[in-house]
Amino acid sequence: MEASSADIERFVGRYSLGRDGTPLNTMGSLHFLRVKVPGGLITCTNFRQIAELAAKYSKQQAEITDRQDIQLHWIGAEDALDIFSAMAELGFTTDMCGQSFAGARYGDVRNIVSCPVSGIERDEILNSYPLVKALSNFFIGNPEFLDLPRKFKISVSGCGSDCTRARIDDLAFVAVKKGDEVGYTLLVGGSAGVSLPGPRLAKSTGVFVMPEDVFDVAVAAVEIFRDHGNRESKAKARFKWLIEEWGVMKFLKMLQEKVGRSFVRYDGPIFVRQGEHEGVQWQAREGYYYVNVPLTGGRLTSRDMILISELAEKYGSSELRLTPTQSIIIPNVKEKDALLRRLEMKFTFNGPKLRWNSLACSSDFCGKTCSPHAKELLKEIVEYLEKRFDSKVLDEADLRIYVNGCLNNCCASMFAEIGLNSKQVRDGNEIEQTYDLFLGGGFGLEATFGRLIEEKVLSSQLKHKIESLLNSYLKNRLSSESLRSFCNRHTLEELKAYLNTSGG
Amino acid sequence: MSRKDGKFQARRIDEKRFELDVRGLTCPYPQLIVTRTLNSLCSDDILEVILDNPPSARDIPPVLEAMGHKISRVSRPDGSTWKIVVQTKNQ
Repeated sequence: MEASSADIERFVGRYSLGRDGTPLNTMGSLHFLRVKVPGGLITCTNFRQIAELAAKYSKQQAEITDRQDIQLHWIGAEDALDIFSAMAELGFTTDMCGQSFAGARYGDVRNIVSCPVSGIERDEILNSYPLVKALSNFFIGNPEFLDLPRKFKISVSGCGSDCTRARIDDLAFVAVKKGDEVGYTLLVGGSAGVSLPGPRLAKSTGVFVMPEDVFDVAVAAVEIFRDHGNRESKAKARFKWLIEEWGVMKFLKMLQEKVGRSFVRYDGPIFVRQGEHEGVQWQAREGYYYVNVPLTGGRLTSRDMILISELAEKYGSSELRLTPTQSIIIPNVKEKDALLRRLEMKFTFNGPKLRWNSLACSSDFCGKTCSPHAKELLKEIVEYLEKRFDSKVLDEADLRIYVNGCLNNCCASMFAEIGLNSKQVRDGNEIEQTYDLFLGGGFGLEATFGRLIEEKVLSSQLKHKIESLLNSYLKNRLSSESLRSFCNRHTLEELKAYLNTSGG
Repeated sequence: MSRKDGKFQARRIDEKRFELDVRGLTCPYPQLIVTRTLNSLCSDDILEVILDNPPSARDIPPVLEAMGHKISRVSRPDGSTWKIVVQTKNQ
């Protein structure tokens, strides 16, 4: 399509392409398209239509991201307007991908993450999806919010667990109960990336926000970031810098002034339960289940997408939920066994939770790793551990593995029980792919940073080291102790010894 | 070119010389606007493209060369801005 002014006018601010990276990107892709799916909720019809775009433009491949987007690579700039036109008809937009600009400019509100089973989860505190949809509709393409100092990440969890990984968002709403009332508490200033002041867990504000006030609070918070965030330095332009500079109390004071009301204090727990969205789960509605299809790294083919759509139409309600752990949920299923029989021909359901809740970034397309790239490495390690340990044991360890290709830390490797972060070592003319190994991090009831235990571990050794660690854990763990607790009550030297594969 | 007038047009700065400012636009728009503009110019016209999106600065010169246009110069007047000078191919 020849780019007319009218076309460009129509698409600017709602659609863009992201840059696939250099120098090690051997995938032959210059651009990616990150399709926003607010809250991860998508109809089968739309999912199939995006599969058709993947078939036509991105070598039949797609990725589910940890912000519930669908990402397509190999997008040619010359095809972009045709793709944007198709997406406009479907009602979808993309991230603005303004991070390439040199200055602290052109940041946008990224896809708003929600509990993937909003509205169907048993014992849910609040259905967060309508709020996510309303906020998305407000921010997408809104010219007042397309030139933030940097990107801005929002999540809303209504189920009472940390399924949204709230602690690494700029602004996170988590449903809580205060006496007989239900509402949200607010966390601010999280980010896993290396930008200043470094990785930060979002801070609790200790306030209780009524559901009807959340929209205004979210908009006011983004306005504060837009108007007061640092625009002098890109490295200091994320919201976490402002929160660190101001402190939570100054931010809250301005937030209350902007929304014109005082917040009630909330001192209760932030998360009231562990997330249990993996595998097959009962729904709130009697006799119905949701089935979480594990993708382990989030990649799938357009044929997989069409298969999942067809099965969700046959066994579910023609709707899908993309999860913040790079998988896909088929909700509203009555005949779960029949559905599972069909899915098991293609996907592995009898594995540990690790298969559902581990993450890896697209480092092969970013050009930040050589083989094994993050997603390959994750699959290799998970499959290796499945062969050596019973799923029950791995589930008792309550273990996640996050693999990152660079310090941007898209997958937040230091917040997993086992985190791997790429570090390349030059050996003569060769580049050797190694990973730094972090242990003991985690989200949820008590979020913790993992500790860097070993640097520059050869990728071929990682699965053996993790096996060795798990054997030591099984031998020495306290009753019902998780791997995270186990790691955090041992010294760095002890953990190094546990990782030692020589049997010492 | 002005984003405010909504037209994304090149500005004539000399008889056969034009300037196109695509600052503030991310991929794919700079590339699309530049190619569209070149298609509307005459043979051997010169187009000076000013942009600030690093991926576009990386991608546009090889794309234009593949189309037969001549890249006369790529410069970086400051840390965040690029200027690409293109001579239009014989149409």
